Amino acid sequence: LEICSGVLPREPMNSNNGIKLPSLQELETYALQQWECFLLQLINSGQGEKLTGISSSMMKVFQRGLLSQRDRDGPRLTESGFQFLLMDTNAQLWYIIREYISNAEERDVDPADLISFLLELSFHVTGEAYNLNTLTDVQRTTLKDLADLGLVKLQQGRKDSWFIPTKIEYQLPNLIACAVTKESLYNAFDNGITSDQIITFLQQNSHPRCADRVPSIPENVTDQIRLWESDLKRIEMTQAHFYDEFPSKDVFEGACNFARQWGGLLWEDSKRMRLVVKSEVHNQMREYLHTQGNIEMTQAHFYDEFPSKIPGNCVRSCWKDVFEGARDFAREWGGLLWEDSKRMRLVVKYEVHNQMSEFLTPKASDKKGEPPPFSFLMRSVWVGSTRASLKVSLAR
Amino acid sequence: MVNAIKGVFISCDIPMGQLIVNMNNSMPSSQRFIIHVLDSTHLFVLPHVEKMIRSAIAEFRNQNSYEKPT
Repeated sequence: LEICSGVLPREPMNSNNGIKLPSLQELETYALQQWECFLLQLINSGQGEKLTGISSSMMKVFQRGLLSQRDRDGPRLTESGFQFLLMDTNAQLWYIIREYISNAEERDVDPADLISFLLELSFHVTGEAYNLNTLTDVQRTTLKDLADLGLVKLQQGRKDSWFIPTKIEYQLPNLIACAVTKESLYNAFDNGITSDQIITFLQQNSHPRCADRVPSIPENVTDQIRLWESDLKRIEMTQAHFYDEFPSKDVFEGACNFARQWGGLLWEDSKRMRLVVKSEVHNQMREYLHTQGNIEMTQAHFYDEFPSKIPGNCVRSCWKDVFEGARDFAREWGGLLWEDSKRMRLVVKYEVHNQMSEFLTPKASDKKGEPPPFSFLMRSVWVGSTRASLKVSLAR
Repeated sequence: MVNAIKGVFISCDIPMGQLIVNMNNSMPSSQRFIIHVLDSTHLFVLPHVEKMIRSAIAEFRNQNSYEKPT
């Protein structure tokens, strides 16, 4: 049985329409009268009197257990019927509603729709008027039946008809109806509530009869709550450092263990000797690697994608080869750490970066044949070097 | 010797990984942000792209959600 509970309660009618609403006292009197009349019908029918004014659907409710059909004498109250009369009002009401829902299918009414409507009604405010014109035929019929029980009062004005709930809170004892939606759960998760907390709460607060069931909360509900939570967690991002170019397996494994001990190892690839470590552990890693082989790290910039050809109409010879110009410039400033003239790549000390940028930025000029603006790809990297020789490895 | 690059480590499921790789490949080369594709469920990307990636995923998730027609 699937219940759609995503419907909003209706808006009460505007009281400026000239509707005179009965007072709460009047409503209560009305409700009691209706209910007693209803019970009286039941008793009278059990004594053989003909029933008037009772709907056929209510008749069916009676016949399910409270009245028995005898061929000659007409219906009589059964033993259950007598017991019913002795129950307190809430229990009686609850019984009637339950039976009413149970025989819904016989009346060609979808029980799910009916329950959904009843739950919806529980959101309505006692004493307020709600327009009938927004309801389906089934809902209107249901309301007529509920009016027989004194649960709503039907009224008619010149243009509209409406219903007023009387004491709906008696209808569903100890029940809170809520809607669990993707939006409400995302809201909860945003506020730091976990799916486990929500599910535990539902389990701990379930009706004893539900709690005895295994599982107490339907699996489709718990599954969906967890699915919505995991949907928000599909990717995890961590500030990290990527290490490679280890000189030996020993150094690599030492680094892995070190990172692992500090709880910072995020990923490793022992085949290619690469690992990823949380950035918060990076300083310790540097220290550690320092002790492992005199590693020095320098912050630098890496330049590549130098333009290889300048258009033929360029006049300025110093731009003939941008790469060589940049390399010589860096060298003059004492910042050249590494070069690869074959692939035209450079690594230049961080301190020299501003001058390099300035040098490499094409300047606007009124001269013809200005070289086209070019872009160079630049990344800030850490460069490791030993004392003996300068060797820089860069990852692309 | 040992080289270290600062960036952001991403751990995700295979479809999300694919989504991010495709996003990277569809960008002009100066804006590409993946430094290494580590394996099918891990990536190492340039710093400062977290927000962009998160909003791309949120958009993907919204496109995938069924909205009951009103």
